[in-house]
Amino acid sequence: MIALDFLAVVEQWPLLAKGVAVTVTLTAIAAVLGVGLGVTCAWARAYGSRWASAIASTYVEIIRNTPFIVQLFFIFFGLPSLGIKLSPELASVIAMVINLGAYSTEIVRAGLEATPKGQWEAAAALGLSRAQTFRDVVLIPALQKVWPAMVSQIIIVMLGSAVCGQISTEELSYAANLIQSRNFRAFEAFIIATLIYLALSMALRQLLNWLGGRFLFGRR
Amino acid sequence: MVDFSVWDVVRNLLLAARWTVALSLIAFVGGGLVGLILLCVRIAKLPGAERLVGAYVQIFQGTPLLMQLFLAYFGLALFGWNISAWTAASVALTLYASAFLTEIWRGCVAAIPRGQWEAAQSLGLPFRDQLRDIIFPQALKIAVPPTVGFLVQVIKGTALASVIGFVELTKAGTMITNATFRPFIVFSCVALMYFALCFPISAWARALERKLNVHR
Amino acid sequence: MSTANSFIEIVGVRKSFGDNEVLKGIDLSIAKGEVIALIGKSGSGKSTLLRCINGLETHNAGTIHVDGKEVRANDAAAIRDLRQSVGMIFQNFNLFPHLTAAKNIMLAPMRVKKTAPQVLEAQAKKLLERVGLGEKFDAYPDQLSGGQQQRIAIARALAMAPQVLLCDEITSALDPELVGEVLRVVESLAKDGMTLLMVTHEMAFAKRVANRVIFMHAGRIHEHGTPAEIFGSPRTPELQQFLSGLGD
Repeated sequence: MIALDFLAVVEQWPLLAKGVAVTVTLTAIAAVLGVGLGVTCAWARAYGSRWASAIASTYVEIIRNTPFIVQLFFIFFGLPSLGIKLSPELASVIAMVINLGAYSTEIVRAGLEATPKGQWEAAAALGLSRAQTFRDVVLIPALQKVWPAMVSQIIIVMLGSAVCGQISTEELSYAANLIQSRNFRAFEAFIIATLIYLALSMALRQLLNWLGGRFLFGRR
Repeated sequence: MVDFSVWDVVRNLLLAARWTVALSLIAFVGGGLVGLILLCVRIAKLPGAERLVGAYVQIFQGTPLLMQLFLAYFGLALFGWNISAWTAASVALTLYASAFLTEIWRGCVAAIPRGQWEAAQSLGLPFRDQLRDIIFPQALKIAVPPTVGFLVQVIKGTALASVIGFVELTKAGTMITNATFRPFIVFSCVALMYFALCFPISAWARALERKLNVHR
Repeated sequence: MSTANSFIEIVGVRKSFGDNEVLKGIDLSIAKGEVIALIGKSGSGKSTLLRCINGLETHNAGTIHVDGKEVRANDAAAIRDLRQSVGMIFQNFNLFPHLTAAKNIMLAPMRVKKTAPQVLEAQAKKLLERVGLGEKFDAYPDQLSGGQQQRIAIARALAMAPQVLLCDEITSALDPELVGEVLRVVESLAKDGMTLLMVTHEMAFAKRVANRVIFMHAGRIHEHGTPAEIFGSPRTPELQQFLSGLGD
């Protein structure tokens, strides 16, 4: 049979570890900023003025109907023509934030629109402004409702970050590529990287569910 | 250096876009067939089916599509075959689509009330007919919007095939950028073409979803 | 109706939803400290009238004055101001599910009146005791019965120290055995001099506690008077029909 040499790849674990660290860091930053962007645009779409809503909608539709790799290439290769030159890491983070932002907008919007009208009326009857009502009454229950979908989307973005290796961001897929370019163990390198991604996605789901439990659903 | 007009760029991209469409259809149809088989295996509750198919789905949903493409490309090459990027991409995307579709459809079948199954069984219908006459027609209605929506995911997924060298729309974009040094224009056109492909399908899926909710 | 010391002055108010005119010209004066029961068939416009007073609905014609200030829908700041004097209790309680009872009560004073947290906590404790739920300070709405939730909704409204409470069928969504605990709280508020405008089907309660009963029919005030007059000697056939249909 074919001789597989996993050891040659496993020996390179420092490279893989660095790749994991970069992947995790990119995902963490993108998750926080992306969800924040999503909440803002969801507000714009659900309650904003007509043109704020239109801008948000256009943004969402463009991102959701184009591949992430094209968005990444546009930011990294295209923007320099306009004088905006970004490092691979910065371009990756920006692309991931913009990407997650669009998908979270729709996810959060669904949660906002599921808010019972009575909640708005009770808050209004107490004299709370719309902004206050959004922040204190509507937002948390909305996020609670859509948290599972949000968790799945963050994981999708984490897995999508594999593409960032193509612009030399030193994340996990880049590490695997680097290893296989040195020892020609392509299949082994990619199998191991894939298994690490699988473990990462499972761990991330646990972490995000725990975070949700602590900060969103937190009681007692 | 030859000066390229925007029309030159667009023309070349359109030619490459044919391959995007072709690969998308192969993956979607192929994935649909495999997904359907997996679905039936799951519903029939064959021994170990739930766990195996469940693991299959978890693997494809929990790992990057890029890795799946690499593994198909380098993995199949291990067997000594000369695998073209086209073949590897087709295999990888077909399996990817099958995992997602089978999971989407499983949800649709699960949405059918237990009473329908019981009625079909108590009529003495063989399992194959239960599926064909009672369950699938109802599941089909629920399944159409998310399935159509997933086609958009497949089209976007074909863009990754560029990384293993398959010349579709994105790869053509990178190649043309290297030739013309006009990345902003080129990638804008690439994005626009994907948008032109995906947006109508997304809009259609949304319309189907709305129609479905009106009837329920 | 004397208008000299009226707190709420409603003159010629009309309200339509599309083609459907729900309020066909309402004139009503409410004095401070009055307890008014608003009765009538569903669709007679009772809730709509209530909601026009605190701006949740916008009247199409006529004027509404609360404490001398006109209720104008397009002035958001003025409406928010108005709602500090006019509280509302809803049929479906509308408690905020992610906040404890105390937090539900403390939220509006904290945000709108910018009261200090320690003051708020003490106030919340006092209000909860006022409605008989002192021990439910840290409870969440889904841990409470309907009657308890409604009483907390009352405490929440009271936290803003309103001068008027609008009660929109506040016991209609409650199981019968829970109605009493809520009505007891409302009765004690009335005894303490709170101005109350209540849309209600609880006729026995209205008889006992209300100063005035107003019967609405087809978007107009059809009859009004003391409970003894309205329930004892109804003059119009519509009111007679309504009262007999209740099967009291």
